[in-house]
Amino acid sequence: MSTKPQVKLIKETATRVHPMTLGVVRYKFLAVAEEVVEMMVRTCFSPLLNQSRDFSAVVLDAQARVVAQAERVPIHMGAMPFAIQAMQGAFADDIKEGDILMANDPYWGGSHLPDVTLATPVFRDGKIRLWVANRAHQGDIGGLSAGGYSPNAREIWHEGIRIPPVKLAERGVIREDLLRLICTNTRKPNDLRGDIMAQVASVTIGAQRLQQLFERYGAEQIEGCVEGILDAGEASMRAQISRAKPGTYTGVSYLEDDGAGHHNVPITVKLTIEKDSVIVDFTDCPDQVSSFMNSPYANTVASTNVAFLYLSDNRQGQNDGCARAITIKTRKGSIVDCESPVPVTGCTTFTGAVIIEAVLRALEKASPDGSMAGFARRFRFVIAGMDRDDQTYIWHYFSNRGGAGGNLKEDGWTNLGCIHNPGGSLSPSIERTEAGFPFLIESYELSPNSGGAGRRRGGLGGIYSLRYEGENDALLNAAGEGLIVPPYGVDGGDSGAVHNYRIIRDGKELPLGTRDTNVRIARGDVIVCEAAGGGGYGDPRERERALIDLDLEYGYITPDAAGSRYAIER
Amino acid sequence: MRISVDIGGTFTDVVAIDDKGDLHVRKALSTPGDQSIGVIDGLTGLAEQLGTSLEQLLESTTLFIHGTTVATNLLIERNGARVGLITTAGFRDLLEFREGTKADRYNLREPFQQPLIPRPLRIGVAERVRWDGSVEKPLDENAVRAALKNLQAQGVEAVVVGFLNAHRNPSHELRVREMIDAGDWKTYVSLGHEILAQEGEYDRISTAAVNSYVGPGLKRYLNNLAARLSEAKLQVPVMAMQSTGGVLPVDQAVLHAVGSLTSGPAGGAMAGAYFARHGTETRMVTYDMGGTSTDICLIENGRPFERQKTEFGDVKVVAPTLDVTALGAGGGSIAKVDKGGILDLGPESAGSRPGPACYGHGGDLPTLTDANVVLGYICADTFLGGRMRLSHERAVEVVKKHIAVPLSLSVEDASFAINAVANAKIAEGIRAATVRCGRDPRDCALFSFGGAGGVHADMVGRELLIPRIIIPREASVLSALGFLSSDVRRDFSAPVGKSVPVLKAGELKSVFGLLEQQAREFLEAEGFAGARSRFVRVLDCRYHRQVFSVEVPVESTDLQATDYDWLMRKFEQSYQALYQHSHKNVDGYIDTCRVAAFGVQPALELKMRKAGTADASRAQRGSRRVYLGAWTEAAVYWFDDLLPGMTIMGPALVDSASTSVLIMPGSSATIDPLGSIQITRGRDEH
Repeated sequence: MSTKPQVKLIKETATRVHPMTLGVVRYKFLAVAEEVVEMMVRTCFSPLLNQSRDFSAVVLDAQARVVAQAERVPIHMGAMPFAIQAMQGAFADDIKEGDILMANDPYWGGSHLPDVTLATPVFRDGKIRLWVANRAHQGDIGGLSAGGYSPNAREIWHEGIRIPPVKLAERGVIREDLLRLICTNTRKPNDLRGDIMAQVASVTIGAQRLQQLFERYGAEQIEGCVEGILDAGEASMRAQISRAKPGTYTGVSYLEDDGAGHHNVPITVKLTIEKDSVIVDFTDCPDQVSSFMNSPYANTVASTNVAFLYLSDNRQGQNDGCARAITIKTRKGSIVDCESPVPVTGCTTFTGAVIIEAVLRALEKASPDGSMAGFARRFRFVIAGMDRDDQTYIWHYFSNRGGAGGNLKEDGWTNLGCIHNPGGSLSPSIERTEAGFPFLIESYELSPNSGGAGRRRGGLGGIYSLRYEGENDALLNAAGEGLIVPPYGVDGGDSGAVHNYRIIRDGKELPLGTRDTNVRIARGDVIVCEAAGGGGYGDPRERERALIDLDLEYGYITPDAAGSRYAIER
Repeated sequence: MRISVDIGGTFTDVVAIDDKGDLHVRKALSTPGDQSIGVIDGLTGLAEQLGTSLEQLLESTTLFIHGTTVATNLLIERNGARVGLITTAGFRDLLEFREGTKADRYNLREPFQQPLIPRPLRIGVAERVRWDGSVEKPLDENAVRAALKNLQAQGVEAVVVGFLNAHRNPSHELRVREMIDAGDWKTYVSLGHEILAQEGEYDRISTAAVNSYVGPGLKRYLNNLAARLSEAKLQVPVMAMQSTGGVLPVDQAVLHAVGSLTSGPAGGAMAGAYFARHGTETRMVTYDMGGTSTDICLIENGRPFERQKTEFGDVKVVAPTLDVTALGAGGGSIAKVDKGGILDLGPESAGSRPGPACYGHGGDLPTLTDANVVLGYICADTFLGGRMRLSHERAVEVVKKHIAVPLSLSVEDASFAINAVANAKIAEGIRAATVRCGRDPRDCALFSFGGAGGVHADMVGRELLIPRIIIPREASVLSALGFLSSDVRRDFSAPVGKSVPVLKAGELKSVFGLLEQQAREFLEAEGFAGARSRFVRVLDCRYHRQVFSVEVPVESTDLQATDYDWLMRKFEQSYQALYQHSHKNVDGYIDTCRVAAFGVQPALELKMRKAGTADASRAQRGSRRVYLGAWTEAAVYWFDDLLPGMTIMGPALVDSASTSVLIMPGSSATIDPLGSIQITRGRDEH
């Protein structure tokens, strides 16, 4: 059993700064993180990044604690310190001004291989004082299947190129040889190069801005501000936790398929809430598995933190100080703290979501006004083939993410699926999809009755139909969750509909499973994706008649469902 | 006489320039129920002020420009028309899917906001155009008829027709309009491809939905106003201010209602551009700080930057507009010590009701204005020219209770900290707005207006190392003044959707040729030709795989070239300037060609006055204690008494009926020939 303190507390050196400086510098840190994001979004190449925004930026201190984050992908945030610590460990004293470090390896502090982290140190008076880091999900990183997420991977080497901490740039000069090596190991070398160069540009601008802060305030004041900001994050999280009812609570959620032949794998968490702190104990989780559903420790910590951040209403407090109130226990070699060399690609999207669910479920009794019913899980796939100009492409299905769960007061949102990243990823335009890829989108509409019934209804998912029009066959690789385990209902609410994807070929329906790979797609095939809906909250019979009538008028539910699920006679 | 009228939250501003170039200003209270009442009140007041009648004034008016917030209010208050959508069958829920996004991604328990067009009013009809413009499925006209009947029966006031790939082939959208025109239902119609001629179905349908949502209300208002003014003998058409900084005659403006959403802030930016041209400032940032927000715009070579996309909460609008960024920081912004114990300001605002605590209208939380009153920057007795007495005591009380005590600071240090956080917020907002355009704020002058701007301008300038700050005398009616510097403008665009290597020789020339022809026809119809017409060509270019494009200006000489080397050269230059890197051996991709057509109005000429003596002592009106880390005595001047050439050394305050300007120790302020205050500082001050 390992119990790792998430943050080392080194406060002796901290200077107390004037409240004015603290308030001002906190804004400036946030502005730097935002500028890093802005630079990235405008310059990166692949649609996964520039349309779907699957990247994040943070400012960290010398101890790799996140001080400020630009609000992007929640699951990236809490994991970043581990990556920076691994970089520090690998290079120790050999980190120079202008160096840009790079890593993606889950066994070197990363989460999964597609997430490539670049970080650059900010020096002052000859010492590293801060770091700027940018983590971006790359469209392809090599490995068994195009676009990653290979259910057939049985060891980490199957999942793509492993990048332990390396120096992509030395004293401001990019190592072209290294960049070439990495780009050669992906199916989309030009995209990867463009995206990595965008990451370089973004962390560079961030470091310049932070340097200006040091010129203005000096190292001592800035370090004092860092401590003050982290302390404030801690205080606000402790205040949040102290609103929950103390006690011990268990939450369980299930991975429906561990990718290696096992179904309904429980992720169990025991929460012990004391006055203003919480112990999150995952030691009952099962052993690591042979497929990509394992979660490295960094990812488990990040997922846990995300669950607590959803409870909180204080945006300003989102930093590593929050984590001081949360102690996480895991068992080495378990599915939530895996050891090399098991594969891990599913950890951010699949296992991460289930970890968040388990924590939220445990919190239901402790903090009812903060709890929510289940969100649609992620069932993704890529199509790889040749476009109309005979160029290879890898297209990621990023639309139609399913519904959000209801809560004590409100219905769940439509199309806000995936608890690990709700609303953060822009769906690509249908027209651009059709112009760039040999597809015709036949329809994309709401799926009636997909939201779980409840006093507060779950949000609806949609139905997306894509017709393949390529001259040559393409290959489809799926990886997902949510075919068997539905988004859960809470407090008497019904669960939401599960996903239902199928391929229609010559009038016949072929169901698409969450682990199907190398599925041949031929001209004229139609891929129909019915997305899951969110879970309902509270007893459906308590839903106000006016709201049910509105649901009927809007076609969110059918008259049959009004009868069977809400006991309405019409 | 040239007249402009701008509607603000509190006041309706009327500015008139007579034939001699003299400026006349009148303010009336705004009348939110029917803004035209305030307009007529203001004009009547101005006529009185000039010793004439409303009719005589309007009869002699050669140009009448109006900026209204009717459209903006309808959208923000969700009070617009009942709109119906006719769209491609199978796609009626795109607005509700919101491209899968949510503005605040951590607050997952907030109520779901319905789109502007609710589901029962969104109807799909069979039709389909493919990505290349070819017709996959013809338009089912019976289905259109049924849909129209259905929408009419449901009491719809305005219709959006938005089909997939209509930017490639608009025939189906056009046919639906023909069918509407042929029937007896007189409804307001927006066609997706006309509102926005570019790729992106969500952008087009969302923008068209906003157009139809605010269009009928704007149309009623403007037509009613135009009729009243015409009754009162106005001989010229009413021109409506647009978000692009141009104006359009009312009959055109009501069809493109979405174009007026940010017309007020555009007026301010246009005024800034005018002062930049007159002061020969190459680069300038305008910053307009009011009660609830601060508007920022970057001006280069006398022209404001532009952008294509604006978000109003979760509603997306894609239309050319001046690139004015709104920050949630104003005089009414509420200061608090957050849960973690750190001082924070806004975005919550006390607005104008109840307003800051010092207003004495029931506000009991400390605002930025309260802090500035405690610090002595704003004088409780001469605020708004003495029309409103502020309570210094109330300001002290709320700052003490909510900020000073929790942070163990004195009341003045707490107020000073609130002020500093505001400066940081504004400065970082200005920095973000400039670096986003690839510019460095240190290369800009700062142009400050709005009631709350003057107090912060010098300190914000120091934060950003901005060398010079300009505060115009007309600060309180600046948007209205900016209207008068505007030309008639309409934007035309055409999608291209091709990578540069596959462009044929002459292809861009013919695209621009068609756009210019449309543009010329429009201007001629409005009475502009020859030297009074002007065209600005740009194209949106990006690397093939990217989403965000970079604007490339296109000269007519470029279009004569037989190859496209100029295009890649210009594109890479712009890209490098913005992002400090560019890519070799990656193809460029053209999204859209755009032409802005300008009908040039007579130039606005403000009177310049020769500089007189530098000695400002006779304009001094005593002194006031201000807190700048320690209490200091600062000389106080009245803006109207300061003449060109006069110079003031900080610390000093310049009060006027609309604002207060703080000049920091080490700074000096000189009055320029236009009457503006120009603040500069010694080399060592920052």
